[in-house]
Amino acid sequence: MTRDRSEMSEDDDDQQSQSQSPPLDLRSAAIAEPCSSSSSSFSVVDSTPNKSRNCISSGTLTSQPFPDHVLENVLENVLQFLDSRCDRNAASLVCKSWWRVEASTRSEVFIGNCYALSPSRLTQRFKRVSSLVLKGKPRFADFNLMPPDWGANFAPWVSTMAKAYPWLEKVDLKRMFVTDDDLALLAESFPGFKELILVCCEGFGTSGIAIVANKCRKLKVLDLIESEVTDDEVDWISCFPEDVTCLESLAFDCVEAPINFKALEGLVARSPCLKKLRLNRFVSLVELHRLLLGAPQLTSLGTGSFSHDEEPQSEQEPDYAAAFRACKSVVCLSGFRELMPEYLPAIYPVCANLTSLNFSYANISPDMFKPIIHNCHKLQVFWALDSICDEGLQAVAETCKELRELRIFPFDPREDSEGPVSEVGLQAISEGCRKLESILYFCQRMTNAAVIAMSENCPELTVFRLCIMGRHRPDHVTGKPMDEGFGAIVKNCKKLTRLAVSGLLTDQAFRYMGEYGKLVRTLSVAFAGDSDMALRHVLEGCPRLQKLEIRDSPFGDAALRSGMHRYYNMRFVWMSACSLTRGCCKDIARAMPNLVVEVIGSDDDDDNRDYVETLYMYRSLDGPRKDAPKFVAIL
Amino acid sequence: MEGCHRNGEIAPKLLDLNLMITQESRRPWFHDDENSVFNTEERKLELKLGPPGGEDEHASSIIRHFKKEPKDKSILSLAGKHFSSSPSSTKTTSHKRTAPGPVVGWPPVRSFRKNLASGSSSKLGNDSTTSNGVALKNQKCDDDAKIMEPMRQGGMFVKINMYGVPIGRKVDLSVHDSYEQLSYTVDKLFRGLLAAQRDLSSSVEDEKPITGLLDGNGEYTLTYEDNEGDKMLVGDVPWQMFVSSVKRLRVIKTSEISSALTYGNGKQEKMRR
Repeated sequence: MTRDRSEMSEDDDDQQSQSQSPPLDLRSAAIAEPCSSSSSSFSVVDSTPNKSRNCISSGTLTSQPFPDHVLENVLENVLQFLDSRCDRNAASLVCKSWWRVEASTRSEVFIGNCYALSPSRLTQRFKRVSSLVLKGKPRFADFNLMPPDWGANFAPWVSTMAKAYPWLEKVDLKRMFVTDDDLALLAESFPGFKELILVCCEGFGTSGIAIVANKCRKLKVLDLIESEVTDDEVDWISCFPEDVTCLESLAFDCVEAPINFKALEGLVARSPCLKKLRLNRFVSLVELHRLLLGAPQLTSLGTGSFSHDEEPQSEQEPDYAAAFRACKSVVCLSGFRELMPEYLPAIYPVCANLTSLNFSYANISPDMFKPIIHNCHKLQVFWALDSICDEGLQAVAETCKELRELRIFPFDPREDSEGPVSEVGLQAISEGCRKLESILYFCQRMTNAAVIAMSENCPELTVFRLCIMGRHRPDHVTGKPMDEGFGAIVKNCKKLTRLAVSGLLTDQAFRYMGEYGKLVRTLSVAFAGDSDMALRHVLEGCPRLQKLEIRDSPFGDAALRSGMHRYYNMRFVWMSACSLTRGCCKDIARAMPNLVVEVIGSDDDDDNRDYVETLYMYRSLDGPRKDAPKFVAIL
Repeated sequence: MEGCHRNGEIAPKLLDLNLMITQESRRPWFHDDENSVFNTEERKLELKLGPPGGEDEHASSIIRHFKKEPKDKSILSLAGKHFSSSPSSTKTTSHKRTAPGPVVGWPPVRSFRKNLASGSSSKLGNDSTTSNGVALKNQKCDDDAKIMEPMRQGGMFVKINMYGVPIGRKVDLSVHDSYEQLSYTVDKLFRGLLAAQRDLSSSVEDEKPITGLLDGNGEYTLTYEDNEGDKMLVGDVPWQMFVSSVKRLRVIKTSEISSALTYGNGKQEKMRR
C-alpha cells in the first residue's frame, strides 16, 4: 500500500528517511556546533570527519594499493544489501575503504537539490548507478513565486550520465526543466531504460514523449504526473513499438492533448503486464469502458474524463458498472476530470476494494458522495474537493477507519468565499480516522479546538498542512490567533516531520514549533508571525529542520543571521516578501562559502535595490551554478 | 489619463491601465486622498471574482514590517498587491472580507487545480452539459495575476515536421542566423529519426545526411507556413523577414513540392504529409 500512496502523493519525498543532517566539507565551514552524527543524504567526497582516523588528508582520490582484496570483496557483498540511503551514507563515513566500496555498489542515488552538486561529481563518485532521483525547483515555484526559466535543467545531467551510465534504468525527476532533446538523448543513450517518472516537470512536449515511447524498448514505467506537456500534435501513443511491450505503468493524465484512442486500445491489448493506467481527460466514458473490458488486470486506474461529448445515444448505453465489476484488482482510482455525476454509481463494484481514491477533480456534492464513500471501508488515501462539504467528511470519518492520508482541495480557491469545509469536518475526521498520518486541508475557517482535537486523536500524524485561505484569519469562534492549535500539533504529534501553517499566528506559535518540533524537517510559513523572534525560535530549535519556506512574513536580517550555524545542514531556505536586505544576504554569502545565496528579483527593482524580494539559498559542493538567468543574482 | 474619468465608459486604453497600476502600487491604499474619484473609477473597472456591488474597503493597515509591496505586473490585478493585517483580534468573524486584493500564489494551489470553478461548475447535480474540452486548461498562470508566460527558455520555437516521420520536433530560430544553419539543424534533428523509420535496425553508419533542403536538389525540401497561413519554400526572402513571419516548418518530399504548396494556401486544410 505504501507504494500506491507514494505514487499519488506529491510529496513522497522524505517519508522514508528519518535523520538527515549531511555534513559538508568541514574544513571550510564555520560551524559552531558539531554536526549531528546521524546519516547524511549526500556526504562529501573527501571529508574525513573522524579526526582520530589516520587517513590521507590530501583529499585526493588516488587509491592506495589495498592489501586485502578479500576484505573488499566481502564488504562489497555485504554492502550490496544496504538499500536505504541513510544506511549507505552512514556506511560510507566509516573509513576510506568502506567509502570506496559503498560508492561502487550504490545503484540508486537520490539528489534532493540538483544544484547541490555537479553531474560530474555524481559520476566520479558513484560508478554503477542504475537509478536516479533528482529534484529541481523549490516548491514555491509551483505557485508562480519564481519567474520561469530559473533553471533546474536536466540537460547537463542527462548528457553526463549518457557517457557514464549506459546501463541506466530509471530516472525520477521532480520540478525539473526537461526538453524534448533531453528526452531524445535519454532514449538514445540508455538501451536498457525502464522507468521514466516526471513529476511537476515542464519544458517538453508530446514529441519528446514519442521519442521515449519509440526508442525505449524495455520501458516498464512512463509516468507523467502533474507536468506541463506541450501539445506538439504528435500521435505519441502510436510510437510505441508494435510488438508486446513491457509496460507496467502508463500515466498521462496531465497531458493536455487528444490521443489516438485506437492506438491506445491496441497498446493496452499488447501490454499484458500493465497494472497502472492513468488516462487524460480526452478519453471518454465509452472509450474507458472498452479499455476496461480489455484490461481487467489493472490495479490502478485513472478514469479520464468520465463523461462523453455527444448526447447519449439512443441505443443502449454500455454497462459501465459491469466493466468496473470485471476489474477485480483495481485498488486505486482517480481521474474523473470532467465528471458527469449521474455515471458515478458505475464505480460501486470497486469501492469495497479501494485503498486509494482521488476525487480532487470532481465537483461532487455531499449527496452524490455519501453513497459511494460508505462502501469504501478499506480506503487509506483519499483526495477530494471541498465540494463534499463537512457532511462528506463526516461520512468519510464514519466509514474510512483505515485512512492514512487525506487531502481536501478548494474547489474555489479564493480568499473570500464562504467555504464548504471547516473545523467541523476536521474534527469529525480526527475522531473517526485515528490512524491518520498525513493531512492537507484547505478551508476558510478553523478553530483551535478542532486542531487541538486532531493533535490528540491522531498521534500518528507525520504531515500536517493546514491552509486557512484567508490571510491572518484567527480562530473564527474565539477570535484568538491559531497559536494554540498549531502548538498542540507540534507538542502532541511526536512523529511530525512536515508542517505547514496558516491563519493568524503570533511569535508564540513559532516558540512552540521551535521547542516541540523535534522531528520537523519541512516547514512552510506564509503571512505569519510578528517579529524576528518567530523565525529565531525556529532556527534555534527544530533540530532536524531541512527545508524552510517562508513567504510574506515580517522576518528580517537579525532573524536570518541567527540561523547561520545550521544552513550547511539544511537543504534550502526560501524567503520571499520578507524584510531582508541585500547587505545581510551578502554577509552570509561571504561567511559561508559553500552556501549559494540567490537573490531573485523582478525585472525592474531599481527603486529599492537593497530590498530582497526573494531569497533562495542552499548548500552546494560545487559552488554557484553557471546557468543562472539574468534576474538571479548569486551573492 | 483623462479617459478614465469619462462617465460610463469602461474601456480605457491599455496604456492608461498600465499608468493606473504603477500609480496605484506606489500609493498606499488606505489613504482617501484627493484622487478618490480615481479610486471609484478604478473600482468600477476592477476585474474581480467577488460578487458585484458594495465592497467593504475598510481602511486596513499595511503590515508594519514591510518595506515594499511586491510588484504586480498584471493588468487584471488593478487593486495592486498589498496585505491587510489584523494583528489585533478585532475581526472575530470571517464574513468580513479581510483581503481586498488578490495575491500571487495564494492560496497555494497549483494552476491546474485553479480553473475547476470556471470549467466544471456546470456539471454539478443533474446537469448533463457536455464537456467541450475547454474546461481545464493546463495554464501556468494564476487566474488572478498573470506574471509571465511560460516561455521555453526565451527562444523562438517553431514546430517542424518531416514527411515520413511521425515524431515532430521544435526548432529555436533565435539561435540561428542563416538558412544554412537552419538546414544543418534540420538534418541533425531528423537524420536519425528518418533512418529509424526506414529500417528499424538502422545503425549510425546507415544514416544518410539530409541535404539539399534549400535548393531543390535533395530528396527533401524545407517549406514553411507563414503568419497568413501561406505555404512557401524556405530561402526566398531575407533571413530576418523569414524569422518574423514563419509560424511552422515542414520538410516535404521534393517531388511533392508543387502539390504541397498549391494545396491549402490561405486558410484551407492542412497539408497532408
